[in-house]
Amino acid sequence: MFCLQRGGELNYLGKYWSRYWKPFSTAVAFLMVEAICDLLQPTIMSNIVDIGVAEGNLNYVLTQGAVMLGVAAFGATSAITRNIISSKVSQNFGLDLRSDLYRKIQYFSFDSIDKFETASLVTRLTNDVTQVQNFVHGLMRIFVKAPLLCIGGLVMATLLNPKMAWVLIAIVPIVGFIIFASMKTGYPYFAKVQKALDKVNGVMREYLSGVRVVKAFNRFDFEIIRFGKSNEELADTSIKAMRVMAVFSPFINLTVNIGIVAVLWFGGYRANNGTMHVGQIMAFINYMTQILFSLMMISFVFTNFVRAKASSERIGEVLSEENTMPEAASPMSLDKEIGSVEFDNVSFGYGNSTSEPVLRNINFSVTRGETLGIIGSTGSGKSTLVNLIPRFYDATKGTIKVNGEDVRDVEAKFLREKIAMVPQKTILFTGSIADNLRWGKGDAAVADVEQAAEAAQAHSFITSFPEGYDTGLGQGGVNLSGGQKQRISIARALIRKPEILILDDCTSAVDVTTEANIKHILRNNYRELTCIIIAQRITSVMDADKILVMDNGEIAGMGKHEELMDTCRIYQDIFHSQIGKEGI
Amino acid sequence: MQRQTDTSRMQGRGAGNFTGPGRGFGGPRSVMPVVKAKDFKKTIKRLWFYFGKERKLLAVIFTLVICSASIGLFVPYLIGRAIDTMSGGVNHVNFGLLRIIAITLVAAYIADGVISLMQGWLMAGVSQRIVQNLRCTVFDKLQKLTVAFFDLKTHGEIMSRLSNDMENISSTISQATIQLLSSVITVIGALAMMLVLSPLLTLASVITIPMVFLVTKSVAKRTRVLFKEQQVILGKLNGHIEETISGLHIIKAFNHEENVIESFEELNSKLNKIGVKAQIWSGFIMPLMNVINNIGFAAVAAVGGALAVENLITVGIIASFLSYSRQFARPLNEIANIFNALQSAVAGAERVFEILDEQEESSDIVRAVELRAPKGNVVFEDVNFGYREDVPVLRNVSFEAKAGSTIALVGPTGAGKTTVVNLLARFYDVTSGKILIDGRDIREYTRDSLRSCFGIVLQDTYLFSGTIRENIRYGNLNASDMEVEQAAILANADVFIRRLPKSYDTLLIESGSNLSQGQRQLLAIARAILADPSILILDEATSSVDTRTELHIQEAMLKLMKNRTSFIIAHRLSTIRDANIIMVIDKGHIVEKGSHEELLHIGGVYSNMYYSQLRRTET
Repeated sequence: MFCLQRGGELNYLGKYWSRYWKPFSTAVAFLMVEAICDLLQPTIMSNIVDIGVAEGNLNYVLTQGAVMLGVAAFGATSAITRNIISSKVSQNFGLDLRSDLYRKIQYFSFDSIDKFETASLVTRLTNDVTQVQNFVHGLMRIFVKAPLLCIGGLVMATLLNPKMAWVLIAIVPIVGFIIFASMKTGYPYFAKVQKALDKVNGVMREYLSGVRVVKAFNRFDFEIIRFGKSNEELADTSIKAMRVMAVFSPFINLTVNIGIVAVLWFGGYRANNGTMHVGQIMAFINYMTQILFSLMMISFVFTNFVRAKASSERIGEVLSEENTMPEAASPMSLDKEIGSVEFDNVSFGYGNSTSEPVLRNINFSVTRGETLGIIGSTGSGKSTLVNLIPRFYDATKGTIKVNGEDVRDVEAKFLREKIAMVPQKTILFTGSIADNLRWGKGDAAVADVEQAAEAAQAHSFITSFPEGYDTGLGQGGVNLSGGQKQRISIARALIRKPEILILDDCTSAVDVTTEANIKHILRNNYRELTCIIIAQRITSVMDADKILVMDNGEIAGMGKHEELMDTCRIYQDIFHSQIGKEGI
Repeated sequence: MQRQTDTSRMQGRGAGNFTGPGRGFGGPRSVMPVVKAKDFKKTIKRLWFYFGKERKLLAVIFTLVICSASIGLFVPYLIGRAIDTMSGGVNHVNFGLLRIIAITLVAAYIADGVISLMQGWLMAGVSQRIVQNLRCTVFDKLQKLTVAFFDLKTHGEIMSRLSNDMENISSTISQATIQLLSSVITVIGALAMMLVLSPLLTLASVITIPMVFLVTKSVAKRTRVLFKEQQVILGKLNGHIEETISGLHIIKAFNHEENVIESFEELNSKLNKIGVKAQIWSGFIMPLMNVINNIGFAAVAAVGGALAVENLITVGIIASFLSYSRQFARPLNEIANIFNALQSAVAGAERVFEILDEQEESSDIVRAVELRAPKGNVVFEDVNFGYREDVPVLRNVSFEAKAGSTIALVGPTGAGKTTVVNLLARFYDVTSGKILIDGRDIREYTRDSLRSCFGIVLQDTYLFSGTIRENIRYGNLNASDMEVEQAAILANADVFIRRLPKSYDTLLIESGSNLSQGQRQLLAIARAILADPSILILDEATSSVDTRTELHIQEAMLKLMKNRTSFIIAHRLSTIRDANIIMVIDKGHIVEKGSHEELLHIGGVYSNMYYSQLRRTET
């Protein structure tokens, strides 16, 4: 990875270089042998013509023919050996890189996850790794060979007849220049094509997601015109880009071909005065085409290099991401079973400290068996608040204590064992329902699994499936309704037998009666459990022991329902908007 | 006289076909798994139909290809003759003939250059326009498809047909067909030229052909299996990555990092094992081809040399042969590639045609009437409906909504509330029964006029990338700026719009993600106000909006609902309570129907639901 080793983000490649440099170099050595064998052929052929044929030496012709075959066989042997080595090196390199990257991402802090976004992380793991892996394989296959063939061809041709080499010396820079010019003019066009393509896809995607509205408003013509415009733009830019290329490539051909004619013409003079033989002229023409192809190959290498470089930089960004939430020097385990949460003057902002804080001076506490409801408008900081409890993020100011210990002093693993969280967006994984439930606790007994499912009001619908708990879920649990997924997600959390349960607005798709049942069971059968419930519906939190009303990152009110109805303006607003003026 | 190296697949004839960046280096594409077309011939015929006006130009291009291939066959012969002019040795070079040949060669090269330029220039236009037309045809078709189609197919699937498959078709038209044509001409022509020049030497040069077939076949057999396996594992690995990266939060919350890493490592090393094998096997092709070509090169040189010694042929013929045998062998190597490319493009075309063959929304009946400014009296008469025949979703649903009244639909998810809306707007047609508007079956109205009487505000707001003004005007394309702003004021959207830096001209990025959910909802309401429909449908329009914005939206909705027949699906009680009729739907039946007070009085499902929402569990 010679040239890749520049720039801070690419430093990580050094590690793989030291791991693989030996087989890599071996492969490149074999590649050189391959190239030399290719380069020898025209020279031997010229000998056959100039010595064998000219002198009528049939024996020489046949032995040299055998030599050519031998050289070809030798070249093939080294190519096959090289192929085995290079395949192993590139695949193993891909394996290591993918694995290291995946592990790194799994131990990312939430800050880092937010910074990169899911889609981009997935691309880095799949596309970018493949891109880099292919480039490394290409290096050992053709990318190194192309320059070798180019230089070797020049050398061989010059050795053959130094005085004819000027044709090559004139042709090569011209071809090189044309290739360079075509890429220089072509690239911006191809970038434009990509943009136009994105636009077409954008219109398409918008249409697909809004198809009902389009139909309802009868806006077919509008959509067709919109699509037609971007479609035409795409066709126009593509045509331009392709035409740029269509103009350049005949010129490359023409240049080389004129070179061939020049060799023939001047070769004629040299043959006439005896300074060059016919076979040499034939060989010369062969080297010319070889050089031309290697030049074109180099332009492809360059294209690939640009792409692979971008990919490896993106990988480097991930690998060089630093953990922003270090574990304490000697982290504690968390033995006490208290199930308490305490926020002491906590403030928090995402990213750097200068940005607008999302939470300001939060103070509250809950103890074992209590239920805390949190309500407030979107963006008021409810989810952020609960994300601080399992230490997904660190508070900017203040302390958060779980079971009486500062979360920063406790090993994350122990802390998260105590807490079960049901997130707003339900995420289930490929596998059976039972597999998904056991996520919470791998060794949970069947009875425990069913009990939790029962509590989450999921048991009855699960058993109504023909395969019951063994029913397979597609990726993301596609074959379940939203409410069913949410209930499985709740059951998954309950199986862990946590001390603290956090429900982050996770019953939005569950109908009210079922929700009430779940709450009822939680209250009666899980008396020891500390519950923190975030909700949009005021009815979901009205009966909590304590309700936090969040507004704009601050606590706007705290207390029981009746107290808040008397004292908290925002709470009253919410109540009236959802229930009605007179209340019940 | 071209030496075939690894690079040969980059080039067409001579050094042509320089396709520029973006095509990647010539990987072992010949052995990648190919999705076979189901009916190759039929699809090709149909594709030919869509070539439309471009067919004439395509014929011109093909003629150009034939010309340029012929020149390509002519050139080695000339070079051979040129070599012959100098084979007399010192002072015996025939300059007169060499000059003529040189000039002819230059002329041929220039002609070839001009022809390939024209060919490339024309082809760019032809291939792109064909695809542009096809894309338009598909998009037009999408306008006519039933909502059911969009409900069943994932967006990704449709998108992939419009982008990947189209790309595939266009690049195949512009490259593979040309290559195929020129290959066929070259193979036949080269063989003919060789036979004319020297039948004996021809024998020596075609000796490698069985080897070529043997190698490609035996290697391809293995690689096909291996690549298929690799594809399967790669799919699994990518699925695993996709899933575990998007579920990263939950993985961390459940301390599950090591578990997923373990299963990842397992898949990863499986991929590695199969990947090494696949790559080694596919990597064999190129060196083997190279050695076969070199053997051919050596055979021609040796046998040709021997023949020349015996004075049976000239040296120039050897030179010509070295080129011809190359020209002859290369297309044979590539024909498998080209055919695979064609296969996958045709398979892509088939997928595109599948969309074109989808059932359209039934056309209006012959005597369909226009629905103009209806009073908005809606009646469901014994309506039955199921998305699939065996799963009924609505059963014997009958009700009447008087003009100007508000009807709230209540019930658990999956009960059929949204289905009522789907039927009303004729996104789907009833299985049996009737829906009447102003006393006439909705199937007797033209679909366009029917739908233009509805205003629909859905949970997911459809906004497109364009300005806010354009997005509101979507409701009524003839509205003046004044009317647009008036509608925004009524929808309580004017205030936040004016606070934006560019006010009404603010550009929304894709799907309006630079606005909050609530703001987007207000725009959708403004749009519905502007459309001034007789019948209004609000499907969970406020369910994911925070309470403060909701107050604004509710106010706006109430204004909107005035004097219109309105159907509301909502969670929030306050909206429902004020409805004229509340209908409780469960498992496809209307189980209760009446005003808020009436239903509470009955003490059935609704009152249960109402109180369970309100009741505070006693402890």
